[in-house]
Amino acid sequence: MKFITLVIATTMLLLLTASPASGQDPNYSREGADSCLSCHDDDAVLALFKGAHANPSDPNGPFGHGQLQCEACHGPSGDHAGRVRRGQERPSPNALFGSETATPVSTQNGFCIDCHTDDTGFGWHGNDHDTNEIACADCHTSHTAQDPVLMTATQPEVCFECHQQQRTQSLKPYAHPIRQGKMDCSGCHNNHGATNELQFAQQTLNDTCFSCHAEKRGPYLWEHAPVAEDCGNCHDPHGSNHPGMLAMRAPMLCQSCHSQAGHPSLPADGDGLPGGAPSQFMLGQNCMNCHTQSHGSNHPSGSRLMR
Amino acid sequence: MNGNKKKLSAAIAATLILPTASLAQVDTSEWQCEYCPFDDGYRAEVNAGVSYVSDDAARFGNGTGLDEKGAYLDLGGTGRYRKNGTDVSWYAEDLGLDSRVLSISAGRPGTYKLGLDYRELPYRQFDTTSTVFTRTGAGDLTLPSAWVPAATTDGFTALDASLMPLKIEKDRQILELSGEYLPTRNLNLFADYSRQQRDGVSVMTGSRFTQSAYLPRPIDDYTDQINAGARFSVGAVNLGLAYYGSFYRNDRDSLTWDNPFTSASGLEQGRLALEPDNDFQQLSLTGIYRTATLNTAVAFSAAMGRGEQNAAFLPYTISSVIAAPALPGTSLNGEVDTSNYALTVTSKPLDKTNVKFSYRHDERDNQTPVSTYSRVITDTFPTSDAETNTPYSFERDRLSLSGGVKLFNSVRVSAGYDRTELNRDYQEVAEQTEDSGWGKVRWRPTTYLEAALRGGSSRREIDAYNTDVAVSLGQNPLMRKYNLAYRYREFAELTLSASLPEKPISIGMSYLYAEDSYTESELGITDSEEDRINVDFSWAVSDATSLYLSAGSDSIDASQLGSESFQGPAWQASHDDSFNHYGGGFRIAGKNEKIDLTLDYTRSDGETDILFSGQNVSSNPLPKLESTMDSLRLVMNYRMSERMDLNLGLRYEQFETADWALDGVQADTIPVVLTMGADAYDYDVWVVGIGIRYRIDTGKSATN
Repeated sequence: MKFITLVIATTMLLLLTASPASGQDPNYSREGADSCLSCHDDDAVLALFKGAHANPSDPNGPFGHGQLQCEACHGPSGDHAGRVRRGQERPSPNALFGSETATPVSTQNGFCIDCHTDDTGFGWHGNDHDTNEIACADCHTSHTAQDPVLMTATQPEVCFECHQQQRTQSLKPYAHPIRQGKMDCSGCHNNHGATNELQFAQQTLNDTCFSCHAEKRGPYLWEHAPVAEDCGNCHDPHGSNHPGMLAMRAPMLCQSCHSQAGHPSLPADGDGLPGGAPSQFMLGQNCMNCHTQSHGSNHPSGSRLMR
Repeated sequence: MNGNKKKLSAAIAATLILPTASLAQVDTSEWQCEYCPFDDGYRAEVNAGVSYVSDDAARFGNGTGLDEKGAYLDLGGTGRYRKNGTDVSWYAEDLGLDSRVLSISAGRPGTYKLGLDYRELPYRQFDTTSTVFTRTGAGDLTLPSAWVPAATTDGFTALDASLMPLKIEKDRQILELSGEYLPTRNLNLFADYSRQQRDGVSVMTGSRFTQSAYLPRPIDDYTDQINAGARFSVGAVNLGLAYYGSFYRNDRDSLTWDNPFTSASGLEQGRLALEPDNDFQQLSLTGIYRTATLNTAVAFSAAMGRGEQNAAFLPYTISSVIAAPALPGTSLNGEVDTSNYALTVTSKPLDKTNVKFSYRHDERDNQTPVSTYSRVITDTFPTSDAETNTPYSFERDRLSLSGGVKLFNSVRVSAGYDRTELNRDYQEVAEQTEDSGWGKVRWRPTTYLEAALRGGSSRREIDAYNTDVAVSLGQNPLMRKYNLAYRYREFAELTLSASLPEKPISIGMSYLYAEDSYTESELGITDSEEDRINVDFSWAVSDATSLYLSAGSDSIDASQLGSESFQGPAWQASHDDSFNHYGGGFRIAGKNEKIDLTLDYTRSDGETDILFSGQNVSSNPLPKLESTMDSLRLVMNYRMSERMDLNLGLRYEQFETADWALDGVQADTIPVVLTMGADAYDYDVWVVGIGIRYRIDTGKSATN
């Protein structure tokens, strides 16, 4: 018990030391947003007031009562707003946003996460975007009425700026309706958190797939082993040249696991096409011409996934 | 309570009540925000118009709802009301189509928010299909009274007169209600409920030993999902507790169909099981603790779930003339317990270094009872074989360690090691490990240029390939299933992004190479190679004009060995997949912001070349699988007045495939399979549209 007490007490001490220091008196502007807007009055800046951040009724928002207005995000920028002597370069604001600014990514993100702790910033620390030093502003636009990355139709293109390979896959003939603007990346991926390897929205890849394809969850009486383990064994969810987003064309896909003597192991050639001896193992749904329950069967006679 | 417990409780209490210090002590009493143009009142934009689609094309309607020739109503818009702390917003898209979206949210920012979302998603697969089956009121599939059964499809003399067109399509409707309440800044309570309803027709196949028929299977099911919980923060600790529930319900447990092929008396019908109802519930706890000590964050998550499926069993056979043994039970009592635990520690112990450690455990523990079943093969042949079900379980543990250091202010070097262990039951491989090592160099000499090279290798090893299991399943003992086989992988990835200082031009490029070798597989996949390259270019020519170009190429080549004679390799095959796309577009805003013009064009080509060689392979190769798509979209917006715009839209899409699985395959082409005769995709569709956008603005840009 002493050991546990020691561990807990040490943890508490760390918690206390981790709390932000109080009593700072950094150099803020004299008049807050009015100092900023007396110069920055162009449409690009003022678009902020059409969005969610500039709501004076939000007590926790940057423009809520007693909040720090522009400097809630751009940091104390009294030097920037103050007078400069002739010939002296005006100091930059405390923080500017985006990869092409000199403000360190950790500083930029710190401003965002200080407020967004309980929602989108909840799992940020240590996730892959954080580790790879992705700035919040690389994806998000706050000076706008509607942030494109928060809209289903426009979000994928924001993600594709970095994830180019996924853009290519999404254009393949058989893909989720991303190209049509009816599905977004965050439907499957938790971009702000997740402790699984590909930041899935649910705990695992299969759990993520089941959130839309719940009929395949089972458990079935007769399970198909690779299905129970990983949908990605057969499907490429970002897009494929093959129907059903299958990773390969059957029968080769099935033959990469199934090797029973006889029909499962027959090679395929042009003789099995119409005009020759049309093959039930190649044409139409090929293997699934009979084994229609490839995701599992609950029929007592369905052990071969035909029922 | 003894002394130690008192100390412990006091320590915990001290932490929990520790107030969060304000970021800064700033006197904002004089910050009037007089120049702040706060948006107040009601503002909305409403789009209304009409589009005309030139041709029927199921695939073009997939996701869009524009699958039939004719006119469609274009309706949509967005709006927001903000007054006295209340914020209401709505969004509507494609209200005249089967892909409609309607979203409404209301609340007081920082206090509560309620949301209602309704979406429809059309899935359009084929409109060239036809069937001989008619669905009865109960949903069973019957043949026409004049149907003439035969042993093979060429004997179906009543086929032509019996075929009826039937589209293969389904619709998904999603209704979601959400709520969020923030009683304090540090506490967030949330609850979401959604229902996904599906209805339509898909294709299943009903088989009778060596024959089968394509069945138009009705879909009518729904899934309710609940996600509720709380997130709160205390000092440097964030914690979240959540409940997730998924409840799938299918009104139909089976599909009964008349056999179109010759049947013995009493064996004229077959029956398939449809997806059974299932429940899944999960509790999860997540948290993050941040400390300034070594600049460290510790994140954890723990989730425990249970899935259940207990739908009543169908009998072994629908036939009354087959004497089948008793079932071992009336239902499966299927139960799967899941557990997922993760711990991640990231730290920046020195200014220019970072390290990351993560561990994750995922488990699927299938507790479904194992019983013995004696199947009736395709509702025709009873067997005395005793088969036991194999409820698959697995445990997967993944350990990762990585670190990086910044050198010379412009170079960052990092490296990592991952190990994954996978334990299964009932399969050929019980224990499997994969070790991966990688290194990465990132060079960022300026904020305008960044290049990164990442490379590494991984080795998947197995304790043993249990050929007894393989043989018991009828498998060739030389087969190494591709997800269970030894594999060595090498990979490299190069990324480059650049922009010009003071010039709004940016270029992005990425190249990925991966090669897999399955050197211990005598049968199955033996090797594969993947190359992916992508290039983007964008240029904001002026405030009014911008353009972009984009291109990408994927190539995935795989080889495998097979044997139909239960011996060593008798044939080999290659499966070469490639896909290329390129496109571009521009945006032009005309003088005085009167006209906006947007154009996007994409061209893509896919090709798969499958080539078998060896024993019993003819010299007549399979033709290539090919697809080409041209997609063009042109939108012009003319600002007629302060409140009204005129929109003109033009859209063109051409899609063409060559697919040997469908080309020339009519309903009776395959002697032992009655198909629906779907055609390979081949369409050209034009869509022209005209509409107006009307702005409503009863608000004002208020300033304090």
